[in-house]
Amino acid sequence: MLMPKKVKFRKSHRGRMRGQAQRGNTLSFGEFGLQALEPGWLTARQLEAGRITITRFIKRRGKLWLRAFPWKPVTKKPTEVRMGKGKGDPEFWVDVIRPGRVLFELEGVTEDVAKEAMRLASHKLPVKTRFISREYRELR
Amino acid sequence: MSLVIKSEKRDLFGKNASRRFRKGGLVPAVLYGEGAESVPLVLAKKDIVMILKSETRENTIFKIAFDSEEKDVMIKALQINATSDELLHADLILIAMDKAIRVSVPIELFGEAVGVKTEGGFVDFMTREVEIECLPVDIPERISVDISGLHLHESLKVADLTAPAGVKLISDPGTVLVLVQVPHEEKVEAKPEEEAVAAEAAAAVPAEPEVIKKERKKEEAEEK
Repeated sequence: MLMPKKVKFRKSHRGRMRGQAQRGNTLSFGEFGLQALEPGWLTARQLEAGRITITRFIKRRGKLWLRAFPWKPVTKKPTEVRMGKGKGDPEFWVDVIRPGRVLFELEGVTEDVAKEAMRLASHKLPVKTRFISREYRELR
Repeated sequence: MSLVIKSEKRDLFGKNASRRFRKGGLVPAVLYGEGAESVPLVLAKKDIVMILKSETRENTIFKIAFDSEEKDVMIKALQINATSDELLHADLILIAMDKAIRVSVPIELFGEAVGVKTEGGFVDFMTREVEIECLPVDIPERISVDISGLHLHESLKVADLTAPAGVKLISDPGTVLVLVQVPHEEKVEAKPEEEAVAAEAAAAVPAEPEVIKKERKKEEAEEK
């Protein structure tokens, strides 16, 4: 499962998810991508499930890039424990996703294959997404 | 004959005014370069879209008309909303037609690589644009590269490009443009896909990562 090798602090505040992704919001490596349209926390498991789904679908073709990394620890108190006595222990890792963030990128496959792979992966994620490619998109 | 786009000087600034412009089918823009004072402008969104749809896209040189003068300009940068694809702002740069400028030009691949056709590889298009220096009139629409001779693990670099007449390549000659790679092998298990995905995702209970601060404290204590 994806998680940082080293951290400065074991636990972090929850933070806010205001605004749009100011970085990582365009295709940088591949021809096709999956872009988040909503803010949310993506857990390492969800990202891994998405990655596995895409690699399974594209089989032995193409190349996949993961543009999100679960760097933020989320703590949880054990069940049936009274409130207080400090913050719980880190339970899992998430990446804070803002609208516009590109989550996966694909290269070396046809558009149909990429679309279907991204569609399958999007079902593993808790945020709305859209398929993007390098072709000219009509500006609004 | 070059394209002339009409614009007006803008004396309304800030997000309120800019939103009103956008609602009316206009785009706030700014014009600068060649040592001139920057000029805030407003122009029609459809004109920018027309330029972006043209063959030369962002490298199109056009004339901008305002205050009864016409100036040669090109698009320097565009601000586009990442999710709604709304054009928010345009940066235009003044061009001197007799001075060489640096622009990025797209690379176009043609032909099917031998490594893909017969050796089971795929084309990894690593660098899609190269920086060039040339006179504004010499800016090519694209630089085409034939990749049909590429075998597996072979690549094309910027040094392999033949620049059109009057064009100087600025990008690092060692930069890889295209590489024919072997696809990454994924172990396919006999389990049904849904189960396998869930099992793999649930596997490996995460251990805690190393905390940097603790290390430092220890070091400091040792020093004392």
